[in-house]
Amino acid sequence: MINRILALLIRYKNISFGSFPRLLSIFYWPTVQILFWGYFTNFFMSNDSFGIWSTLNIILSAVVLWDVLFRGQLGLTISFFEELWSRNLPNLFITPLKDIEMVYGLILISLIRTLIGITPAVFFANYFFDFHLFELGLYLIFLFLNLIIFGWSIGFIVSGLVLRYGQAFEELAWAIIFIILPFSCVYYPLDSLPNIVQDIALFLPTVHIFETMRFILIENKIVLNNVFIIIFLNLFYLILSILFFLKMIFVARKRGLLFNQGE
Amino acid sequence: MLKTSIRTKNLSKSYDNKTVVSNVSINLPYGGIFGVLGKNGAGKTTFLAMLMGLITPSEGEIFIFDKSLKLHKYEILKNINFQSPYVDLPKKITVMQNLIFYARLYDVKHIKKKILKLSDDLFIKDLLDNIYGTLSSGQKTRVNLCKALLNDPKLLLLDEPTASLDISTSEFIRKYIKSFQKKNNSTILITSHNLEEIEKMCSHIILLEKGKIKFDGKKNELFKQNKSSSLKDIFLNDD
Repeated sequence: MINRILALLIRYKNISFGSFPRLLSIFYWPTVQILFWGYFTNFFMSNDSFGIWSTLNIILSAVVLWDVLFRGQLGLTISFFEELWSRNLPNLFITPLKDIEMVYGLILISLIRTLIGITPAVFFANYFFDFHLFELGLYLIFLFLNLIIFGWSIGFIVSGLVLRYGQAFEELAWAIIFIILPFSCVYYPLDSLPNIVQDIALFLPTVHIFETMRFILIENKIVLNNVFIIIFLNLFYLILSILFFLKMIFVARKRGLLFNQGE
Repeated sequence: MLKTSIRTKNLSKSYDNKTVVSNVSINLPYGGIFGVLGKNGAGKTTFLAMLMGLITPSEGEIFIFDKSLKLHKYEILKNINFQSPYVDLPKKITVMQNLIFYARLYDVKHIKKKILKLSDDLFIKDLLDNIYGTLSSGQKTRVNLCKALLNDPKLLLLDEPTASLDISTSEFIRKYIKSFQKKNNSTILITSHNLEEIEKMCSHIILLEKGKIKFDGKKNELFKQNKSSSLKDIFLNDD
């Protein structure tokens, strides 16, 4: 009996600790939770000037918009993973489908999936909690588009890594968003973070997007400089991630990886 | 008129200094069924994958229908198709949805009509509304063959087309492939471990051994050269 239990234990150990992404998935949750709730509590303990309903509105707006990023990324990676899981990549890549056409297809399906996923959530929040995301007006479209674009950037990076390094990297599809969550200042402002972390966080478009969202909801204003930074960072990351994804397809062809993917 | 269907020049593929295909040069005429034989690890699948642009060669050149695959890839791919038991279609959607998807990728005209005609020929009409993942392996093979024929390929690559199928389904598939070839005068390249199958279907055989060409020519010449009357004898004597 001990031998059989030991065999199971070794097997699960090999599966769980066999690759860096899997190992990462074991400890990222507790770390992320601590960081996130720590910054969140700090901020709300020291700020009670907004009033409970304004605060709730800001938090719910942040929840919905954060989900845009998550759905955008997941919508792209899962659509690509479906091809891997079903061992369909060779069929796909021997058609006249160009690599860049695949990029466009993934972007469009992610947009559709995100809209379908988010729309009911917004209406439920509106109905049950008197939540007015639409107070953001036209800016909502700007914020939505920029969040989903950053989701695509992450999605292309994750898809490229999975194509190149195999399914161990699939864990990243779910983990990566939550790794950047504490540094994205979704539910608290940038100055809640320690100075050194702030300097790094500024490279994330999400920081500027959520700062903009709060500024609109509280001050009813938009900082133009922030808008330019968001557009610049997003375009930079999107182009970089698409080039990375295309490069990984190229490498996969070179290393014969398109044939060996699948469950 | 096309002179050759497949021409390769010193085609090689290596991974981390391990050579899988080495200096393969072939010249296959247009039209006919050709067999690629070899033991496990001989480089058959890698060779086939290079012909479809799925694997980039380390060295050498590939010409399909007298055009460089490197320079005219997407134009060539319109006229190629492929089937393998090791490559599947998305399991969560129906057979029809899968076939429509591929028909669109190949720009097939009158998609529904084409699918209905092929599915009728391959006896999968009743399966069109079934979820692909629920099909048996024999049914999946026929669906995959249907996918492979959607664009009336001038070059059809088949990797073990009857692997894990029962005798009657295998025989049906073989007959169908033969009749398709005759009707369309296409080129079909088959890899198989089923020597009898290759013997029955192919007039021309390419024998690969450790990534190199051991034989490339008419089946009868191979028999003559090895003083054997069957491929099985040649393979067994080789051991």
